Formats: sequence, C-alpha cells, structure tokens
Amino acid sequence: MRRFLTLLAVLLAGFGLASTAHAQSVVKTDNVRAELVSEVSTVKPGEPFWVALRQTIRPKWHTYWKNPGDSGLPTEIKWTLPAGAKADAIVWPAPHVIDVGGVINYGFSDDVMLLVRITLPADLPIGGTLPLTAQAEWLVCDDVCIPEEGKFTLDLPVAATAQPANAETRAMFDKARRAVPVPSPWPARFAVAANGDPVLAIDAKGLKPDTIRDVYFFPAEWGTAAHMAKQSAKVSADGIRIPLKKGETKGAPPPQLLGTLVLTEKTADGEHRQAFDLAAKLDPALATSVMNNSEESSLSLAEALLFALLGGLILNLMPCVFPVLAMKAASFARLAGHSRGELRRDGLAYSAGVLVSFALMAAALLAIRGSVGEVNWGIQFQSPIFSLLIAYLFFAVGLNLSGVFEIGGRFAGLGQGLAARGGTAGAFFTGVLAVVVATPCTAPFMAAALGFALVQPAPQTVAVLLAMGLGLALPYLLLTLTPALQRFLPRPGAWMDRLRQLLAFPMYASAVWMIWVLTLQTGADGVLYALGGMVLIAFAAWLVRVGGASSTGLWLRRGAAAAAVLLAIAATLKLENPSATAASASGGPANGVSFEGWERFSRARLAEAVAQGKPVFVDFTAAWCITCLVNERVALETAKTRQAFEQAGVVKLKGDWTNRDPEITATLKEAGRAGVPLYLWWPAGADKPKILPQILTEAMIVSEITAKR
Amino acid sequence: MANIIVRRRSLLLGSAALAVAPVIIPGIAHAAAEVGTPAPLFTSVDSNGKTQSLEQYRGKIVVLETTNHDCPYVAKHYRAGNMQAQQKDAAAKGIVWLTVASSAPGEQGNVTPQQANELTVKRGAAPAAVLIDPQSKVARAYAATVTPHMYIVDAKGILVYKGGIDSIATSNIDDIAKAKQYVRVALEEMAAGKPITEASTRPYGCTLKYGRSST
Repeated sequence: MRRFLTLLAVLLAGFGLASTAHAQSVVKTDNVRAELVSEVSTVKPGEPFWVALRQTIRPKWHTYWKNPGDSGLPTEIKWTLPAGAKADAIVWPAPHVIDVGGVINYGFSDDVMLLVRITLPADLPIGGTLPLTAQAEWLVCDDVCIPEEGKFTLDLPVAATAQPANAETRAMFDKARRAVPVPSPWPARFAVAANGDPVLAIDAKGLKPDTIRDVYFFPAEWGTAAHMAKQSAKVSADGIRIPLKKGETKGAPPPQLLGTLVLTEKTADGEHRQAFDLAAKLDPALATSVMNNSEESSLSLAEALLFALLGGLILNLMPCVFPVLAMKAASFARLAGHSRGELRRDGLAYSAGVLVSFALMAAALLAIRGSVGEVNWGIQFQSPIFSLLIAYLFFAVGLNLSGVFEIGGRFAGLGQGLAARGGTAGAFFTGVLAVVVATPCTAPFMAAALGFALVQPAPQTVAVLLAMGLGLALPYLLLTLTPALQRFLPRPGAWMDRLRQLLAFPMYASAVWMIWVLTLQTGADGVLYALGGMVLIAFAAWLVRVGGASSTGLWLRRGAAAAAVLLAIAATLKLENPSATAASASGGPANGVSFEGWERFSRARLAEAVAQGKPVFVDFTAAWCITCLVNERVALETAKTRQAFEQAGVVKLKGDWTNRDPEITATLKEAGRAGVPLYLWWPAGADKPKILPQILTEAMIVSEITAKR
Repeated sequence: MANIIVRRRSLLLGSAALAVAPVIIPGIAHAAAEVGTPAPLFTSVDSNGKTQSLEQYRGKIVVLETTNHDCPYVAKHYRAGNMQAQQKDAAAKGIVWLTVASSAPGEQGNVTPQQANELTVKRGAAPAAVLIDPQSKVARAYAATVTPHMYIVDAKGILVYKGGIDSIATSNIDDIAKAKQYVRVALEEMAAGKPITEASTRPYGCTLKYGRSST
C-alpha cells in the first residue's frame, strides 16, 4: 500500500510538472502548492521590490533550508529577467529541526515564504510590463522524498510609482519578514576543543535563563558541525553556550562559524520564537574555559561536596586570597615560639571564621531564595556597589601593607584591625577577611558546586557551601594541627616586613581588576567614582598617619578622615541610580537599553504629553528581554518607522525595566501585564492607550501611526 | 556577606589545568565512521543468504553503497547507468562493491532477498553482493544519512572516503555528466598511489529510512 501511494505520488508529481508548461504564477504538485507573489502590483523603474516563492506544503511533509541538514536539498530558484534587472539570493526564514528517524533535517513545514529582492534598471519604459520568470526546484519529503519543480511567470506593469499589492499580500510579506533572522545583537565566538568539537559562545549578558528555552544553532553550511548530535545549550547570565559536535569538514577551523541561532523566549503573555544570524569569530581562548562549563551537568550530592571542597582548596591559590594566606603565614611565623595549644586554637579559630562566613552566605542565599523564589547569581550579586566596596577594601588593605597607615599604630602584623589582634578573635576575623576577599574569585569546581547548591533543598545548599569553606580553611588548619609541618617554616625576621610591603601589590592589582569589573557594570562613570573614592581613602589614611601619636588636632584629623571615607562610600550610592549607570554603559544596546532618539519614561512626562493631546508611543523594555530587542531591530528602529514617528510628531518614551523600576511596574500592572515587552500607543488626543501586540512589525507600527482617527 | 560570582577567563586560565571535569557527551552516539580511522566492522546476510563481513575482504578495497531503489536520487544513477558502470569497473579491478539495502520494514526501499535479486537483474547492476539490512545495522554503524551514501574502505580496513556519489546534488540525470564522480575519482587516486583529494564530501539523496522507533 505504501509503495502504491509512493508510486501515485511520483505520478502526480510528474503530472504537476507537466502542467507547468504554460505561463502561470501558481504551480500545484501533489505535495506543494507553490506561488510566485509580489509585494507590489506595479513596479517603478530603478526601485527594488520584493517577491516571494510561497510554498504551501502538504501536512507532515517538508521542504528544506539553505543547509538542509543530514539529507535533503534546499529549494533553488533560477531567474530569467530582462536586461539590467537582477534577483538577489533567497532570504531564508529561520528553519525548524525535522527529525526523521534520527536523521536531522533543517527545513519548513506547512507554509513558507522564500523572499527575493529584485532590483530594476532605471530605464524601464513606463507603461510596459516587467516579465518575471522563475524556474524553481525543490525537494519535498515526508518519509519518502520527491523532487519537484515548477516554472513561474509573473507580469508586472511598469508605472511611475510602485503600487503596493493588496492588504492580504502585504500582510503575508510582513509576516514573512518577521520569520527572517535578524543580525545578532550580541557578539559570538567559537573555539574548537582538543577532540575537534566546536563550542559556540554567544556573549549575551544578563539573559534570564528561566525564560529561555529551545535554544538551537543551525550551522549555515554543511560540514561545520554535526547535525545529528543533540544540542544542549546552556543559558546563564553570562550568555549562551552551545557545545557542538564536529562536522564532516576536515582541516583547520574556519575563521568564522556562520549560522542561525533560534530560541524561544517566555514573556509575560506568551512564548515567542526568535532567530538571529550569527557570525561567530574563532577565539581559541574560549576552548580553555569550556572545561569549566561542561562540569555544570547534573552532579550527585557527593560529587558536589567533593567539588566544593576541591574548589575551596584551590581558592587558596587564587590571587584574591593569596595575600590573606601570606598574612596568615606571617602571623603564624610569629606564633612559632608559642605553645602547641595556642597554635591549635589559632588554626581552629581561623577555620571557624571561614566556616561562619560561609554559613552566613548560605543563610543569605536561602533567605533570598525564600523571598524571591529563585536565586540568580548574575543579577543579585553583580551589584556595582559591591564591586566598588571590594575595590576599596583591596585598596585600603594595600595601603596598610605598604605602610601608609597603621591602624591605631599598635598592630605590627599585616592584619586589619581585629584580624591582627593576635588572639583567638584575631584569627577568627582573619578567616572572615579571607572569605570576603575570596568572594570575587571563582575557582574551578566552584561553579559546578554552586550551580548544584542553588537548586537544592536547604540542607544540601548549606552542606555544599560549608564544604567549600572547609576547603578554604583546610591548608592552614592542617598546618596548625600538624607539628611536623611547622618545622619547615622560616624564622621571623626582617623579611616579614619586606614580604608585607611586597604583598601590597597583589592587593592593588586586585583593586584594579575590581574596577575593571565595575566598568563592565556601569561604564566609564564608574571609574570616576571608584578612583575619586580611592583618592579620598588614601587622603583619609594619610590624615590618620600624619602627626602620629601627638594629640594636636587628632580629633579634627580623625573627623576629616571619617568624612573622606563617608564621601567615598557615598560615591557607591551614586552607582545604584540607574540613570547614572544604564545611560553611561559602554557598548550601546548590547550592554543595556539604548535611549537614543527616545525620552526616558516617567508617569509625569506621559501624563503631560497625553494632556497636551500629543500622540505618544511608550516602549517598555529591558536589557534581558530578547523579544524587546528584536522588536526594536525589526519594527521600532527602522528608517521607515523613525520617519513615521517624526512626521506624526510622536512623543517617544522608553521605560527601562532592567532593574525593576516600581513606576514602570505600576504602569505594567495597569495595562494588565506582569512584564515586558509592553507597547502603548496614544493616538493624538486619545485619552486611553491602545495596547499593541508583543510581536511588532514595521508595517503594523507605521499603519498605527499614520492611521486617521 | 553576599557572594559575587564573576567568571573571568583571565582568572580561570591559570587554573584550567586543575579542572579535571567529567565531560558529559550529550545526545546520540555520532559519526562512528571517521575517514582515516578503521572502518566499523559488520556482518550481514546478502540477498543469496550468504554471510558477508567486512573482515573477510581484508586485503581488498571495499566500496559500500546504501540504497533504496524507490528513491529518486538512487533511481537517477541507476537509470543513467552510472551506478552499474562504476560497479562493473570496480569488479574488473578486483574491488568489492557491496550494495546495502538498509530501509526498515514498512519503509520505502525495504526489500526481500528475492526482490533485491530481481532489482539487480532488472537494472543490470553488478555489485559483489547486496546486503539485506532491514535493522539498518550497517547504515547505523557508518552513520549513513542518505541513499546513496558512499564509503570506501582500503585494503587495510581503513575508511578512506565517505560522502556523495558525485558533486551535483540534484535528481536531474543530465547533471551526472557534468558532476565530479567522487567515488570513481577516489578509486583512481588510490590505484595511482595518491592521497584522496576529496575524502569527505556532502552526501545527497533521500533520507535513509531507519525504523520509526529507532531513536
């Protein structure tokens, strides 16, 4: 029966071919109804226009994308055009994955529009006709494959102006354009691992992993990556990472990996499939960090604890913690003459300090999880204030090590205040300090363990974090508990002072690094506040030192120093003001919301503009909202839309919800929305806004703006 | 005290060597057949009930051709006589040409041994044997995706070519004359003791008909 059907299909396909002998714009085969359609009903000489080959495919059958995948062939169109006219290559919509018994194909089902731009010579005689002739070949498959073809002709009158086609056709083109991938707003990189497998990294900062699913990379060419392998993309606040399997092409990796990234984003009222064209640049450095990411696969509790312990141990070698450890070593050397009991107490107190700090961290983590429902390291902890305070701390410790100031003048050690007290309390707070300075450093293994800890029930979360703390404390603890090891320590002497001064430099370097992190978060303004704050801190340190023990003006100096420090800390608050951060963020829309050509949304400004009877368009967006980004690219920031906005004198307001602005949240609520994107349109004189769909097209916006009321 | 996690490559680089992470390979086993490595071994039964294995031909060059006689791309090369001519040339040079019918039961191209023999006679084909592979074991071992998908195994059992039958991916018979016949060229290069210039090419044809429940 199947074979009979196949035969029938072949026969009917043959019949379809036979029927294409005469000129027509529609070809019907047994599996596909294909039509050549034009977006204009008349053409203007010299003005490019769009046509499309529209395939309406029999249910369950499919035709293919430019890279058809493991089998299949893309649809091809050969044009016959009058002299001087030219047809560009097909502009492909984003494909879908079609799995035929494990063989993976990239293609289209049901209905697809293959867009082609036609350019015309300027000297076409007006009043004549433009004959478009296309010979198209396509392969259509269900579980059997049938090559089909058709010859299409379309005669378009040449006129002084290009007349748009009917509304239905225009809507079809509009929809087709929406399905075409937009250029990626994020840079992409790829690297090839030692085993030949490529890994793709899309540097999309601040994405929300829980709103994104079905991420898939379609390589533009056969052979660059294996199609058959399942892709398991990882989305984090750092971006998207897709480990691929190597393709059939041999030799050195190409300088660029081209393809289309498709993902589905869940927004407040629905899910939207978005597609981006990528050109990933070869970045060999990426391969080394791949290892750290691939360990994020599901771990058992035992593995997570082990990784946490190892991560904590390795943390001792990280640049952030090293100065604290060295500090500990120096104070330990001083303790050398003391009794074993004292040593042991010192080690235990230090470990306790570390563990208590980690326990507090776990408590904070659980508290956040309890109140917010989920923990997102990326957003909760990438706070610029925190970065700056840590930078200050590094700098202050550095100054102290350099000998610019001594706290109270009576601490000979390297420690900070309590940390240098020498007693049990001092050791405890050295532990706390170690954790504080360690936090910006993520050691290998830690990421995997933390990833595990975040999603586990409370006891496991606490256990993993404590294991990490134990790892951090372990080397020193072992040293104090094992008398045999103590013999290897050098004697105290002048070298301790020199070592201490030397250790200031890693601290300065760490401060520089934190400022760099800060610039990523806030842009250039952050540097101003950070360095200004550091000058104030250095000034305060100098004030404290000047005059030494003399009491003349002591309180005055102390007051001035305290004021300088307060001012430096006040600078951090400046960072939290989103208008100071988002607007100055470097790198344009890729790193934040761009306000170019838009006014910042406020309810007062909105009320004012509406009261004046002006047309108002409000765009509520967020840096992490992909659908918002795509809407801006395809509908809101196009030349035509900008022109339409301008001509109608529209007040354009943009609300940036990246940081959960309460004013915007209230407005969203009034519109019955829980999130972005939201587009509100007040035609001139209207007292109520029209809520536009979450998926915008250029034609939709232009027609809304130009519509007569 | 809040924690801050900032992943920076610069920091991780130094410690990357320490990270001995378990790498989880996702998805299905893939591309077992790699050019330049030993070809996957198989044992199958041919259309005459004889057992055929790759190992028994060690010392000879073996060509594998996946087939599905109802596939228009397979039909293209048989109707033009291209496949048969290459099979005969190969036989004359002592090369073992194995045609593999790997379509699952109920799928297009699934044949009984008798049907396979009838097809060979009707088409004037000259393979050394037609393997009846309804469980698609041979195709799976080579991760074949289409019919015809072509493979060449050298006398030492190394896979030296995989890919398409020729360079023009259409169902149009007229294109055969214009196309580069990859398998023929590769066999000629092997005979001349030269390396194969195009050892891995893009195969084209109908999707190989693995069973519906296969994945």
